[in-house]
Amino acid sequence: MRYDSARLTGFSDTAVKERKAGFDTPFFLLVLILLTMGVVMVLSASFARAYYDPGNITGGNAAYYFVRQLLFALLGTGVMLLASKLPMGFYRRYSFPFLAFALVLLMLVPFVGVKVNGSRRWLGVGGMTLQPSELAKLAVILSFSVLICKMRGRMKTFRYGILPFAAILCAIVGLLVLEPHFSASIIIIAIGGVMLFLGGVRLGWFIGAAAAAGGALAVLLAFFPYASSRITTWRDPFSSSSDEGYQIVQSLYSIGSGGLSGLGLGGSRQKFLYLPEEHNDFIFAVACEELGFIGAVLILTLFALLILRGYWIALHCRDRYDFLVCAGISTLLAIQVFLNVAVVTNLVPCTGISLPFFSYGGTALLIQLGEMGIILSASRTILTEK
Amino acid sequence: MSESVEKGRGGGPNRQMLRRTLALMALCGIAAFLALLIRLYKLQIIDHEYYEELAIQQQLREAATSPARGTIFDTNMNPLAVSASVDNIYLSPAEIEMYGEDRELIARGLSEILGLDYDDILEKTGRTGSWYVTVARKVEAEQADEVRRFKTENGLKGVRLETDTKRYYPNSCLACHLIGFVGMDNTGLEGIEAKYDSALSGSAGRTLRATNAYGTELLFGSFEEYSPGEDGYDLVLTVDSTIQYYVEKHLKQAVEDYDIQNGAGAIAMDVNTGGILAMASIDGYDLNHFLSVSDEAQALIDQAATEEEAAELLQQAQARQWRNKALSDTYEPGSTFKIITLSMALEEGAVDLRDSFYCGGNVSVLGRTSPIRCWKDGGHGSQNLTQAVQHSCNVAFVNIGLRVGAETFYKYCEAFGFLNITGDPDENLTATTGIDLAGESGSIWWSQNTFCSEKNLSQLAAASFGQTFTITPLQLITAVSACVNGGKLMQPYVVRQMRNPDGTAAYEREPTLVRQVISEETSAKVRSILEQVVGDPNDGTGRNAAVAGYRIGGKTGTSEKVSLEAQTGEKEYIVSFIGFAPADDPQIALLVFLDTPSNKSGIYVSGGQMAAPVVGNMMADILPYLGVEPVLDEGEAGSMDVTVPDFTGLSREEAAAAVKEAGLDFRTIGEGSLVTGQLPAAGVSIAAGTQIILYFEAEPSADRETVPELSGMSYAQARDTLSYYGIYIQTASPVTDAETQKVSSQSITAGTVVGHGSIVEVTLVSGDDSMLGRY
Repeated sequence: MRYDSARLTGFSDTAVKERKAGFDTPFFLLVLILLTMGVVMVLSASFARAYYDPGNITGGNAAYYFVRQLLFALLGTGVMLLASKLPMGFYRRYSFPFLAFALVLLMLVPFVGVKVNGSRRWLGVGGMTLQPSELAKLAVILSFSVLICKMRGRMKTFRYGILPFAAILCAIVGLLVLEPHFSASIIIIAIGGVMLFLGGVRLGWFIGAAAAAGGALAVLLAFFPYASSRITTWRDPFSSSSDEGYQIVQSLYSIGSGGLSGLGLGGSRQKFLYLPEEHNDFIFAVACEELGFIGAVLILTLFALLILRGYWIALHCRDRYDFLVCAGISTLLAIQVFLNVAVVTNLVPCTGISLPFFSYGGTALLIQLGEMGIILSASRTILTEK
Repeated sequence: MSESVEKGRGGGPNRQMLRRTLALMALCGIAAFLALLIRLYKLQIIDHEYYEELAIQQQLREAATSPARGTIFDTNMNPLAVSASVDNIYLSPAEIEMYGEDRELIARGLSEILGLDYDDILEKTGRTGSWYVTVARKVEAEQADEVRRFKTENGLKGVRLETDTKRYYPNSCLACHLIGFVGMDNTGLEGIEAKYDSALSGSAGRTLRATNAYGTELLFGSFEEYSPGEDGYDLVLTVDSTIQYYVEKHLKQAVEDYDIQNGAGAIAMDVNTGGILAMASIDGYDLNHFLSVSDEAQALIDQAATEEEAAELLQQAQARQWRNKALSDTYEPGSTFKIITLSMALEEGAVDLRDSFYCGGNVSVLGRTSPIRCWKDGGHGSQNLTQAVQHSCNVAFVNIGLRVGAETFYKYCEAFGFLNITGDPDENLTATTGIDLAGESGSIWWSQNTFCSEKNLSQLAAASFGQTFTITPLQLITAVSACVNGGKLMQPYVVRQMRNPDGTAAYEREPTLVRQVISEETSAKVRSILEQVVGDPNDGTGRNAAVAGYRIGGKTGTSEKVSLEAQTGEKEYIVSFIGFAPADDPQIALLVFLDTPSNKSGIYVSGGQMAAPVVGNMMADILPYLGVEPVLDEGEAGSMDVTVPDFTGLSREEAAAAVKEAGLDFRTIGEGSLVTGQLPAAGVSIAAGTQIILYFEAEPSADRETVPELSGMSYAQARDTLSYYGIYIQTASPVTDAETQKVSSQSITAGTVVGHGSIVEVTLVSGDDSMLGRY
């Protein structure tokens, strides 16, 4: 009841003043700190590959990836600030059109997508590339939030609390499977589930869903050798350190050789073409090698603080939609960070998940910073406790 | 409710939502991160050293900087083996694939430049799992530059070059067994290259550094450890290329002349230091193509039925040509060993120059069922010591050996380096000289108990004239050098100096005195006796080694290859001669041995008839080169070859007088009054008494003539036969009697067509029938 009373007082004139006073500064600063660290790590991690240029991309320009990432970081900061200016009503209004947009893009992927390593996940947009799955993650959060608000009181029923949500998830995941994009499917399902959890769906459904997922996984492992070899590699990457296990073994070398204090910023040796994807999905391994356990703890602590602050903002939202969106985005961030670090440390089987704010990738960075902007927008509606 | 509810916004989150959010916070904001931190702690703190070691293991590359292999010089600083920089050419198919380079272009380009098979290279470009596939090794600068240009023009990253060194031997075959060669990896495999491999190769520099995954350098120089390499030492040998050339030349000639079946060897040694001046073995091979065998051997290999057989034949032929017979073969030395028996007997006082020895053709020895026969049927009769040596009388030497006694004989054999007494009297004994060459074999001697048995003197008796034991030619020449140099047994050696790359001496080898075996006085007696073996034209069995104007001492040897007789039923021999000069102050010792001469060569198979002239011919070339002045006495001058004066412009009377004065004969062509031309030309040296041609206002004919077979003719016969054709003869052999000395070899093979005035050089052997024997 204390929350309710806080909510009630929130509708006073002071709230309007607070809104004008601005967004949540700690959250904003945490984003900027992580973004800065991320851009610096891209420079450090990528320059060897950019210099040697084994893929004939950079023309030997060691700063190639860094300069691009820096431009996107600056652009993304602008996107974040712009997103924070837009009122939450704007997002609410355009949640379903955005979902529709994301679905259209996902449908385009199988036809006009760019194929990389046997998967079609990317759309070429004027010289840049975009993963529609990144947009789909946000679309799920936004659209589910609207639906949950609509279905209030009926969330415990199957017809209103499960069916429409499941339909949206099935559509998106179905399209992702076509690409195929396993890791994005997992994240979308996870984030959808979390939204339903927050929306008030009976816990029994989750137990059922977990059982179903377990069964599906068992089938997958039994009938798809590709999937089971992933598990074997995960359990003992050194058994195949020259092929399937190469990447994870190299990642473990990087992380392990960092030790307590690391080899110093820029000092990674593993990034010299030993570690694949060193400036993308495995950038955290380079950070661990260069900054050591201390640096890794620092980065993870900053992420944890950012995520907790995101939840804190959600908890203080006076609007259910705002609350759901903030909690959803915070959870999405948490899932991405956890899965990425868990993959590079071989805590879970290897799959391609980027580390927000760190991994090289312009459009993903823009979308992530846009999401942060939405939380900042919501934070403007909060009455602080001063 | 509030406005927002009415607007359908649904109000704030309900309590269940807030509870569930707190649960999510705990899970996503705290628990998940704790799990990650625990995992990181395990990897970075607990397992840190394990992963660090594995990482460093893959990151560090040890790059060896290849040091320059030292040059091998002969004693006059002529290079015998030098190294030059070359390139190995290899492909990096992984990169060819990575950069999408044109495989066919690469295969076409490289096959054209290097003359290699196109399909083979194309196949190599397709081995995409590899970073290193060799295309060609040790490519010389010109071709390598072409490859480099091809690589740059087409921007090919998958075509690579790396520096290597290649060994060149400027003299090809000369001293091949001494020098040896290096394998593909620049490791010495034979001869000095093998024995001195570590000194020549120097120490490889070592760069330990962190590299990227391609093995090339990191962008910054951290984590680099460098230890500089050292270039190899240059070696200066005791070997003299000129002497080596003379030795090889005459040895090859002998193998051809006498149809030697099983190769031959020769050693020239500095008598006073033990330094090897030359060492040759037949067959030789070209060091620059050490894998190629002789044409005859190759023809046999080409006829082989199967590939395995061909490979085996090739291997055998290679092993045969690489074998240094002078160092690796052991043989029964035969009569040359009498020098050793003589030396110890004189040193021990067991014999004296005035002692007399009777040879009745054979001698009975305790322990032998049949008496030992002398090589001369009917025996030599009564002889003094010098004559016994001159005659190479086996009976006399059996008696000399018996006078010395087995124990003393055995002790001297050890002192001369033929065996090492181990203390076990039942063990067969062996020894080596310890020369600084790879591949030295050891001698084989009867055990002390067998040799020194009081009930059986047959071993001692046979050993006295060099049989029933085997030694290497090198051991023999080393011991004989000691006998004539004042009694000092010197350790033979080949490398006299090691030089730093800047030319300063790093190590100077001093001649090593092993021990004083006999006294200077005894040695002087031995020298004087051995000089009479060669120098006495009537009694000396070594007379065919004589060179006019030089004092040469020496001893013949003919040993039967007993083991082979048992196999083939045919008697086979190793004939040899060991000589030294000048006999009063020896500088050089020369040993020549010919393994299994054919008995169809027309020359009697014996050391005196076959090996002695070879040593003589070698000495005739080498002694003037060493600056030893010939001293000719009156008698010799008359029988020497003469230099043809210029007769042109002389009248008939003047010319006749001049020709007579020059010791020549002449015939005339033309009706004029003045000499307008002559054959042979003025200034050449030809046999005394040759009939030359004087042209009196006539033109010499331009006809060409076929050289006849001279072998077996006397020197005078050969001289006259040739001069009939307008071809002339000369010899380095001393001419004691032009009517009886016989030609044993000629420098221009019979059947060769030559012009008028050509000179044929011949070797003479004594035609005296008393010389025909196995001694």
